[in-house]
Amino acid sequence: MSEKKLRVDTANPITWCPGCTNFEILKSVKLAINNSIKKGEKLTNFAMVTGIGCHGKIIDYMNISGICSLHGRPLPTALGMKIGNPNLKVLVFEGDGDVYAEGISHFIHAGKFNSDITLLVHDNQSFSLTTGQSTPTSQKGYKSKAEPLGKFESPLNPIKLALASNATFVARTNARNFEFTAEIIEKAIKHKGFSFVEIIQDCIVFNKDINNRDKKMYKLPNKKRTKLEAMKLAEIYDYNLGKAKIPLGIFYEEKRKTLEELWPQLHNLQKKKINWKQMKK
Amino acid sequence: MRLNILIGGEAGQGINKISEIVSEILIDRGYYVFNYRDYPSLIRGGHNFNVLSISDKPIFSTESKLDGIVSMDRLTLIKHKKFLKKEGFIIEPGKFVNLGINLNIALAGALIRILGIERNFLMKRVKDEFNNKKSLNAAEKGFESEKFKYSLKKLKNKLILKNGSESLSLGFIDSKADLYFAYPMTPATPVMHFLAEKQLENDFMVFQPENEIAVVNAALGASFSGARVMVGTSGGGYDLMTETLSMQGMTEIPLVVYLASRPGPGTGVPTYTSQGDLDIALRGGHGEFPRIVIAPGTPLQARQKINEAFYLSEKFGILSVVLSDKHLGESDFSFFPEKINPLKIKVKRKVPGEAIVKAISYESNSLNATTEDAKVTKENADKRLLKYESIKKEIEKFESIKIYGKKNSKNLIIGWGSTTGAIIDAISNLDAKFLQILYLKPLSNEIRTEMQKAKNLILVENNLTGQLGRIIREKTGIKIKNRILKYDGRPFESDLLKKEIEKCLKKN
Repeated sequence: MSEKKLRVDTANPITWCPGCTNFEILKSVKLAINNSIKKGEKLTNFAMVTGIGCHGKIIDYMNISGICSLHGRPLPTALGMKIGNPNLKVLVFEGDGDVYAEGISHFIHAGKFNSDITLLVHDNQSFSLTTGQSTPTSQKGYKSKAEPLGKFESPLNPIKLALASNATFVARTNARNFEFTAEIIEKAIKHKGFSFVEIIQDCIVFNKDINNRDKKMYKLPNKKRTKLEAMKLAEIYDYNLGKAKIPLGIFYEEKRKTLEELWPQLHNLQKKKINWKQMKK
Repeated sequence: MRLNILIGGEAGQGINKISEIVSEILIDRGYYVFNYRDYPSLIRGGHNFNVLSISDKPIFSTESKLDGIVSMDRLTLIKHKKFLKKEGFIIEPGKFVNLGINLNIALAGALIRILGIERNFLMKRVKDEFNNKKSLNAAEKGFESEKFKYSLKKLKNKLILKNGSESLSLGFIDSKADLYFAYPMTPATPVMHFLAEKQLENDFMVFQPENEIAVVNAALGASFSGARVMVGTSGGGYDLMTETLSMQGMTEIPLVVYLASRPGPGTGVPTYTSQGDLDIALRGGHGEFPRIVIAPGTPLQARQKINEAFYLSEKFGILSVVLSDKHLGESDFSFFPEKINPLKIKVKRKVPGEAIVKAISYESNSLNATTEDAKVTKENADKRLLKYESIKKEIEKFESIKIYGKKNSKNLIIGWGSTTGAIIDAISNLDAKFLQILYLKPLSNEIRTEMQKAKNLILVENNLTGQLGRIIREKTGIKIKNRILKYDGRPFESDLLKKEIEKCLKKN
């Protein structure tokens, strides 16, 4: 990607740790948005929601509308944002602590509602901004200041959960491969319905055992799969340490009517390309 | 003339329909009615009752002594006969056979006859709703089964009948609001039901997310997008929302919250009434930020105050909590319809889609970026406080207190919310004045003036600790020693409240 200033850039100083893969995620998102803009999308039509954690700082680094929400609450905030104006392109950023711990109920319901929003999860398998405690995706045995005896239970598998929750777009990428991540994000934005992109990333300060997994990763071929097939692929990697391979790419995609298409009030706003404010009552 | 008639039965037997048919006929005949609903948290069986009060003068409450009992089950007489006056009447279902689900219509017919209202008004009302032979036959049989005891001649009043929830919902529609988010919780749910039914014809939407946390966050998201938004809940749901209410304080996204309280703590007594949640309405949420708390006491006030809440929230980017309870929400009140001139709620702020706008739950600087800077932190906090001052000024336009009774009396009763009706009725023949506080935050300066003019002060609240009394003391430094507090989940009955007030006045 060229280094020239993008319209989505801001002048705010970036406070992530030097070398953090969040820089790569930021690059991917900007590239994806830029590509969408090139294809005719308006910058002002994008809106983002972030949670609280290292990932959440991204709101300061992108010049698009948005809410920095509370810990765990970006998904319902985004759902509301979309109901408040169904013509917006809504991007949701959450960390693994944010979405799989505090906000887990919203994750499950987001799949059920199938609102046309895109969830990008920065999953570094630890609560890093609070100095490295375990999250639901931290590997078994992970030791932190809060759990010096190590984490006893096995991690949650978000891909399986997303599939079980009827998400209509389920993908996984590697933060270190920003071009591939951008490509997946662009497809997720384009997908009509709730799209979920799990971005696996390193934490260079806390959960270091999970770093440098690139060699284990491989890209899934682009093809249509049944949910059962997708579920099988999701089981290959269980988020623990070990030799298991890590499949990347789109696990599953299906067409299902979105919340905005099903609710007559929202469908009407989409058809007329207006927000509630512009509606004559 | 005033009658109090208790109508009791099992859940599912249709006692509400009896009250509805009879009250509508009475309203049509120009009578004032007040209907109190008492029901436990179950769907079939148990014991429910309504107390229907009827008068030729305005009434806003029930009384403890009964002029009649309509009994659909065994428990009704066992529980309530001791409150029946000596000359009181009883209508029992025993004499009716094989009426099935139309039994309640027969009992309504019997009651109409006792009240001395002509048959054709009953038959027309029943025909309007249930145009079938069985129902009409039941009404006829019921009517024939009794003799008239009263003679309620037609009066000239042109009244309407509404409960607080319905009227409050009309305030939402008056405001041309766009979205109502809620998760079912008694006693807030009737608003959700009413609005859901009206959503398509009035171009708004009612949405039920997965829990109250999702409700309030979705509401903030939608309001940020430019919609006029309200959420509704009761105490427990409100507790879940409070972190986000605090975020509202930081982001200044307009938000209206309808809080319908019920007795707590915990799950409490879910289908009964309480004013125990004033404290959380005033203070729920961490940190220091301005808000508005309004407590209507009648359906008409509920309708107006919701509109004011929308107006103030949008104008100042502030949280408005409209506090009600089961008693106001679910009791039926009769009143003269007033011409409503709702305030226009214009969303003038820039929203996503039109411009790049941000709302940050952290403290943020002039570039809308997160900051931890000491100077900006202080400046932002000062701005929030300053905003509260402009809100206080704006509220001077609205009715923030209301005085009832004898204007020059030295005996001042102070109350708020759903006790308003019982207090108005209780003091109607007393040397007393009633100060109803409508805006609980900000509190009017006139409260102190009124209190200083009085010799005897009596606080009336439907809670255990006198929460209004505390905030009045905080505001004025005056401690109200005489307190009439009721916290058994039931509203005040005006005759008993009157006795309590008289006792207080004698003491002084």
